[in-house]
Amino acid sequence: MRPVTPRGFRDVLFEEAAERRVVTAAVAEVFGRYAYRFVETPAVEEYATLEAALGASVSGAAFRLVDLDGSLLALRPEMTLPIARLAASRLGGESGPQRLCYSADVYREHASLRGESRQFAQLGVELLGANGPASDAEVVAVLVDALRAAGLADFTVGVGTVAVLRALIDAAAAGAEWADALMAAAHARNLVAFDVLSVAPGVPEAVGSALRRVVRIAGGREAIDACREAAGSAGCAGALDALEAAWDLLEAAGVAERVRVDFGILRSFDYYTGLIVEAYAPGLGLPLGGGGRYDDLLAAFGAPMPAAGFALSLERVMIALAAQGVEVPVRGLDALVGGDPLECARECARLRASGWRVQASAASDPNVLRDEAQAAGASYRLVAGACVMLRVFDGMTVTRDPLPTPPTLASSPAKGGCDV
Amino acid sequence: MSDSRLRMAVPKGALFDGTVALLAQAGIDVGALAEPGRQLIIDTAEMRFIICKPTDIPAYIAYGAADVAVSGADVLAEAALDVVELLDLGFGRCRFVVAEREGAAEEVARSYSRLGVIRVATKYPRIAEAYFASRGVQVELMKLHGNIELAPLVGLADQVVDITATGTTLRENGLRIVDEVMDSSARFIANPVSMRIDAQRVTGLAERLGRAAAQA
Repeated sequence: MRPVTPRGFRDVLFEEAAERRVVTAAVAEVFGRYAYRFVETPAVEEYATLEAALGASVSGAAFRLVDLDGSLLALRPEMTLPIARLAASRLGGESGPQRLCYSADVYREHASLRGESRQFAQLGVELLGANGPASDAEVVAVLVDALRAAGLADFTVGVGTVAVLRALIDAAAAGAEWADALMAAAHARNLVAFDVLSVAPGVPEAVGSALRRVVRIAGGREAIDACREAAGSAGCAGALDALEAAWDLLEAAGVAERVRVDFGILRSFDYYTGLIVEAYAPGLGLPLGGGGRYDDLLAAFGAPMPAAGFALSLERVMIALAAQGVEVPVRGLDALVGGDPLECARECARLRASGWRVQASAASDPNVLRDEAQAAGASYRLVAGACVMLRVFDGMTVTRDPLPTPPTLASSPAKGGCDV
Repeated sequence: MSDSRLRMAVPKGALFDGTVALLAQAGIDVGALAEPGRQLIIDTAEMRFIICKPTDIPAYIAYGAADVAVSGADVLAEAALDVVELLDLGFGRCRFVVAEREGAAEEVARSYSRLGVIRVATKYPRIAEAYFASRGVQVELMKLHGNIELAPLVGLADQVVDITATGTTLRENGLRIVDEVMDSSARFIANPVSMRIDAQRVTGLAERLGRAAAQA
């Protein structure tokens, strides 16, 4: 039998694994610069915990397990809920805003033959216990800087707010059934059904036309004015003022050039209450990641607290990097060392202590060593005990006393001082 | 990608001619699309047309292999993938119906009361499942790939869920429509990301097609 991984799961090998670690480290470095602290949560949660916050929508997405006690468990389908659960159960006594971040695998169930993975690596932050334009802007700024640090040459971060749609639904006062149908159409991105519902009997004409207009408004700061003009009287003026204030902060922080206001972003999780954010790369048909503000979610766990955050899909970031032809700077092998085994062990230890990446070889013949070094992609080769190293690609000699900087470190582009 | 052609998936089959006619009506250069021969990809100055099997179009759009497309609402409902539905183009109208053999009503009712389940043949299991679930009727669904109207005639199924434009095929095969499931027509759809980062071209094309469809 030739064993295989289950459908939708895969192994990640050398080059790809190394690149994923470099990108993860670069993004983690940005999280750290914004004072976010890493947490880890278990891969499984009580199914009831997910259901309490996500409702029925979780049932299709979660990978379920039954343990020996008969409890229904689920592999985490995303990280926001585990973090909210953690905050509600573990951080109750802490005062002031909490900045949490994670790099974790999440699991989602999919029907077969849709070409979709069932395990995803996510990188994200959650800002708990703070609301207002400053915290909205902070979350967006972390996202922009994270994508910059990942090395993406071209990307856009779209920001909007669910407050506009919610205010218009309230202003229409056309009943709960209509409101649910409209939200369902919005989440399914079905603008045909959305437009039909906007002219349903009982919906005031002004509200209906505002609904049709706002989901099509996008642009820079002027989009906020356009939205105010279309829907400001419906009771979302405060939310639009807050979005404008956040925009000013993003401009001041130098990230607004990457941000686009878009009132047509309709994310499908029901728990968002304000800001919504999504990141896109040209040529990638799926968002790189997204998130938003979910001020009511922690109340479902008995610890009411405002919160906002985002998650990036590492897989999609890697696809976008490849599509944009970005070389991820992965450190290779600095030197291959051969010769007398004792001398070799000593020499390797000395080089490694200075940060060199070194592979030991059983060969001592210079020609064999040269071929091996070339095959292994090493920068240098040396026979232990000799007093010079040879550069692999041209055979030039380099003194090893004092030791130079490891060549793969010296040549790799500066990426915010992080390394793996 | 704003620096290249907008990629549009065009369904072959029943919606093909209507799509090409609508594009032409909207003043879009369709190039060789009118007579594609065996070509599956046709480039013009502003567009790249990709000719696909209708049921595959939602996948092309959801995964970003094309930016925009024309697709039947029936196919979209069956695929249940993440696409933006922008416009009802008005052509390609058809109805989803439940049908059974003429005069078989009593037989079907009896078999439901005795066996507690109706056997239903369809090309659209997801739509059929949602329809019967909403009525609390227990069914055994059987997915077939074509000539659905044959199934009740040869005893393969009690009822069928199928699309029909005029009902002629069903009638000619001795089938009777017992209920309406949903109406379908051609829709203009877009990839959610293309819709956001290439909004001008996507919504611009939607507006042109919308105007052309309103004139037709």
